[in-house]
Amino acid sequence: MELFLQLFITGILVGSIYALVALGWTLIYKCSGVLNLAMGELTLIGAYVCITFYHWGIPFVLALIFTLVVGFALGILTEILFLRPMVGEPVLSVIMVTVGLSFFFKGIVELFFGTDTVVFTPTVFPIEPVYIGKVVVGQVYLWAFVASIILLLAFVSFFKYTKWGLSMQATADDEMAALSLGVNAKVVYALAWAIAFMAAGVGGTLLGNINGLNISVGYLGLLVLPAVVLGGMNSVPGAIVGGLVIGVLQNLADGYLSPFTPGGVKDVFPFAVMVIVLLFKPYGLWGWIRIERV
Amino acid sequence: MGYRPCGVYHQYYGQDHAWWQTKFVWGKMIFLFLVVFYLFPKFAGLYMVSVFNIVGYTILAAMGVQLLIGYCGQITLGHAAFIAVGAYTSSILMLQVKWPAFLVQAGLVYPISVAAAAVAAGLWSVLFGLPSAKVKGFYLIMTTMAAQFITVDFIITQYVSQVGGRGSYFSIPPGTIKIGPWVIDNDMKYYYLASVLVILCTFVMANLLRCKIGRAWIAIRDNDIAAEALGVNIVLYKLLAFFVAGAFGGIAGAYWITNLFFVSPEHFQFSWSLWLVGVILIGGVGSIYGTIYGALFMTLIPEALKALILFLTGSEFVLNLMPFLPLLLEKFLYVKEAAFGLAIALFLIFEPNGLSYRWWQIKNYFNLWPFSY
Repeated sequence: MELFLQLFITGILVGSIYALVALGWTLIYKCSGVLNLAMGELTLIGAYVCITFYHWGIPFVLALIFTLVVGFALGILTEILFLRPMVGEPVLSVIMVTVGLSFFFKGIVELFFGTDTVVFTPTVFPIEPVYIGKVVVGQVYLWAFVASIILLLAFVSFFKYTKWGLSMQATADDEMAALSLGVNAKVVYALAWAIAFMAAGVGGTLLGNINGLNISVGYLGLLVLPAVVLGGMNSVPGAIVGGLVIGVLQNLADGYLSPFTPGGVKDVFPFAVMVIVLLFKPYGLWGWIRIERV
Repeated sequence: MGYRPCGVYHQYYGQDHAWWQTKFVWGKMIFLFLVVFYLFPKFAGLYMVSVFNIVGYTILAAMGVQLLIGYCGQITLGHAAFIAVGAYTSSILMLQVKWPAFLVQAGLVYPISVAAAAVAAGLWSVLFGLPSAKVKGFYLIMTTMAAQFITVDFIITQYVSQVGGRGSYFSIPPGTIKIGPWVIDNDMKYYYLASVLVILCTFVMANLLRCKIGRAWIAIRDNDIAAEALGVNIVLYKLLAFFVAGAFGGIAGAYWITNLFFVSPEHFQFSWSLWLVGVILIGGVGSIYGTIYGALFMTLIPEALKALILFLTGSEFVLNLMPFLPLLLEKFLYVKEAAFGLAIALFLIFEPNGLSYRWWQIKNYFNLWPFSY
């Protein structure tokens, strides 16, 4: 039971980071219908930008805010340069543009930052673990959880209460109607990418704080795909719950299945879950039930 | 097919469907054979030959992707998994199984293992193609991605690589790979093997595409509901497409182990799957030529780039002008990756039909040149 609780809570804490990144993914999909496979690289870029700022001696919180600003700018730039010309093209082409982008970003990151693991020095969060009852949790995880929850709340309230958030919702719901009511779709698309970049950047930074930062953080960014499939691809609460569930399942699998395998269950289990979800409930938990069936 | 010269008429159905319809095309093709099998290996250096081994491998590997994406409309992002299955099947069969002496003597072990690799990879591909009976589009992409991670990162890395003790088993002793009396042990022989396999696979693929099966695939790609209304058994043909594509992948994998001294999962990563999709996108989706042009482009352009940078670093003047060049060479792998990503994105934005369409346009232009009306 203790093991279960330990795994469960760690899973929730890590899952909150996935939820944050998955939120960014879902936004892009909801608003512009682009299936973004470059999400992992977005997390990488954000994380490396943040660590660069941090190593310049800027305090962590400030560095994180700068990362958000850079992410915002990069997101808008990416949308204008690469995604805008693709509006109305077939799905595969758009997906492959994001694949191209993922290679491009990864190459750029490797070129400028190298492939060695870097860690945040001095460490941002204290190393001493925190005891919650009998459960031991690293402070990094706890702070990452807090940070992602704050950002999740910020983004969700942005959708609910601001003009731009509402216009994003409108575009996601019915693009034609939103256009006729005077919503500027171009701005909405750009905004969706900007938010995705920001969310991914923070997610990458937090992940980098947990395990050190190298190219494999980009792989963790890929884990949002099972999360969003589980949650239903165009549902914001679905993305959040999906992220949490994937985090928990991943940790449980790691704890309970690893003794029976040579290892590596942790990395593959989310994808196995994804295949099962796709087979039995392809539209996820709260996705719109309009998936094309054959 | 394109245009025939004036005065060439077809009298039989067979003539109409011939691949090479005129004497000129025959001449061209014979010349091409001559170049591939005699002139190129004779005059190009050993390095160029080894580069073309990679081209051949890319063509073989991308063939199945082209079939699935370009002709059957089933988007796959996990083809490296099937290539890996092929490579591992072939090497396990060669190294693990006690073959009867006469087969070893006759050098039949490798050919048999190639065939077995094709079948195994095809079946494995069908397994992951099964969801295509139920879902399509993005959801299918996800399942093929899952195929990649489950097969390569889990099953092969964690279980198959352990066969016979980690790290020691899958090294292929030189001289193991024999076809008949020939031992396949240097770049030149790899090159000939690649050429033969590419020609055979292209031949099979082109023939499949112009018979009933291929027409069914194209119908499914263009409009699956209409295809079903016309009596095409969608599930069967989709699974068949997955099987054939996987089999091509298996052959590619079984070929590639000749080039490797050691089979390991690092050769079949997710990025290789994406690379293959990039190859057919740049070459042209829905065109066999596209596979070949794409593979040539994606392999030769980085080589040319590398040669250019090497050449530039040689001169003192340029080096002073651009002091970052040696660093660029050192990190060429990353430059290549970034350039490749950019190339995919730009091709999709500016030339979505790929190189083969551009080539076709150029050919048509010069066909009637200078009086294009």
